[in-house]
Amino acid sequence: MKPPLEYVSLTIDLLPDAPTLAHYRQLIQDDIMGKVLNSLVVAFGSTFLALLAGFPAAYALVRLRLPKRLDTIFLLFVLVIKLSPPIVLAIPLYQVLRTLGLLDTLMGLILVYQVYALPFAIWMMIGFVRDVSVSYEEAALMDGAGLFARLVTVVLPIMMPGLIATSVFLLILSWNEFVYALLFIQTPSKFTLPTYIATLITEDETFWGRLAAIGFISSLPILALVGVVQKGLTRGFAGGLK
Amino acid sequence: MKRPRFTSMLLLGPAAALFALLTIYPLGRVLILSFFMTEYGFEGATFVGGENYQYLLSDSFFQQATWNTISFTLMATVSEVALGLMLALMVSRRFPGRWLVIPTLIAPFVLSTMVVTAIWRAWFHYDFGFLNNLLRTISLSPVEWLFDPNLAMISLVLVDLWQTAPLTFLILLAGLQSIQPETYEAARMDGASPIQVLLTITLPLLIPHMLLAALLRSIDSFKIFDKVYALTGGGPGMATETLSMYVYKLGFKFFDVGLASTAAVVMIVVAGFLAAIYAVYIIKGRSRVA
Repeated sequence: MKPPLEYVSLTIDLLPDAPTLAHYRQLIQDDIMGKVLNSLVVAFGSTFLALLAGFPAAYALVRLRLPKRLDTIFLLFVLVIKLSPPIVLAIPLYQVLRTLGLLDTLMGLILVYQVYALPFAIWMMIGFVRDVSVSYEEAALMDGAGLFARLVTVVLPIMMPGLIATSVFLLILSWNEFVYALLFIQTPSKFTLPTYIATLITEDETFWGRLAAIGFISSLPILALVGVVQKGLTRGFAGGLK
Repeated sequence: MKRPRFTSMLLLGPAAALFALLTIYPLGRVLILSFFMTEYGFEGATFVGGENYQYLLSDSFFQQATWNTISFTLMATVSEVALGLMLALMVSRRFPGRWLVIPTLIAPFVLSTMVVTAIWRAWFHYDFGFLNNLLRTISLSPVEWLFDPNLAMISLVLVDLWQTAPLTFLILLAGLQSIQPETYEAARMDGASPIQVLLTITLPLLIPHMLLAALLRSIDSFKIFDKVYALTGGGPGMATETLSMYVYKLGFKFFDVGLASTAAVVMIVVAGFLAAIYAVYIIKGRSRVA
């Protein structure tokens, strides 16, 4: 899965530059772990928030008798968000964050990522909630389980594979996000990986070695995630079929 | 299962609150701001009616950015669908090593855009870059990929092509695999040559998938920002300044919030137009496409 990265290292070998781990050492001096940590915090934070707000909403849209038109409105709404360029909402969002005092904070970034993460999460989970048979829930209702108990003990475990798949997509989405991270974070120590890479690229002297190293670091989790989810998904489906 | 109204409020509440704060309010806000002239940031806003729109439409920078966005979107979409189609046709038949070829083709799509731009920044390098080395080996003179005004836009299209052709490839491969083998057999029985089969059966049946791929790619290309930001910054001159870049510079570099909002509204209208096509498409072919 890594041929592009090998290509880069090929071009770099053409430079009269001694290879080995020097670039990684430089990155560590640059507080790379801090940036990785920021990226992790933002990715997991926004994924968690999107699932937390999105799962009940997806459940309500599928199971509760809501006005029919709400479905269509929601679909159109998701479309508009998917299609509108991130920069378009950036100016008012800047104001929102400033008012909340969340400008230049990772919390603010987690919140702002919901612009894309939340509709996407609901969109995906609607499908998975639909796949959970109502009869399971009715059985639990007979046993006197309340709504909350049913959600936690019946619906969530059954749709776990779907939940994992949704989380993986959300994690990748936030891990790679660039525009809002660029606009709403000013302090270098709070940069996420994509904005940090951008500073390396746009500086006059481009640091090829460090770029290759960081490209490798930032691609690794995604490749790992894709691998994990493949395994998790098949296991989940196999369990469901028993 | 009948539930009181309170429950649905409770379940939908958090999501609705986030939508209101992060999408509906900003959309309304940007629309209002587009009718105001601002001095610096959000200060000193005065209502000017449609003046911003008038100014914008006659602004040569805006016209240039619009034209750049349109040409980028067209070039990127057409080349990505064409390359995706070629790859899909090549890979659709079974051959040894196919299991290895497909993941390799998809790999660029999994990478983060910033990593992609970093890779291409290296490839574009005048002295050491892989592309200029290629030109030298076939004894052509090296070129300034990102700093030649006539070439910079094409270089951006190349990067986009490399990163997202895997998506169109996947869509079209799925399309190819959904064509019934019997259709081909019937054609072969009638004595059709491979080229005839391609032109009269495969391509017509693939048209819905090609349209979907083109639509998805044109929507994303229209938004392009990060590659422009990291590779050319809109330059040289105005050669690669796209609408997203234009809004970014107005709003976050020159702090002309009013005018930036106006440009943003224009972008939303165009995006809404693309969305309408997409919505019609989904409703018409809901069963066909995931």
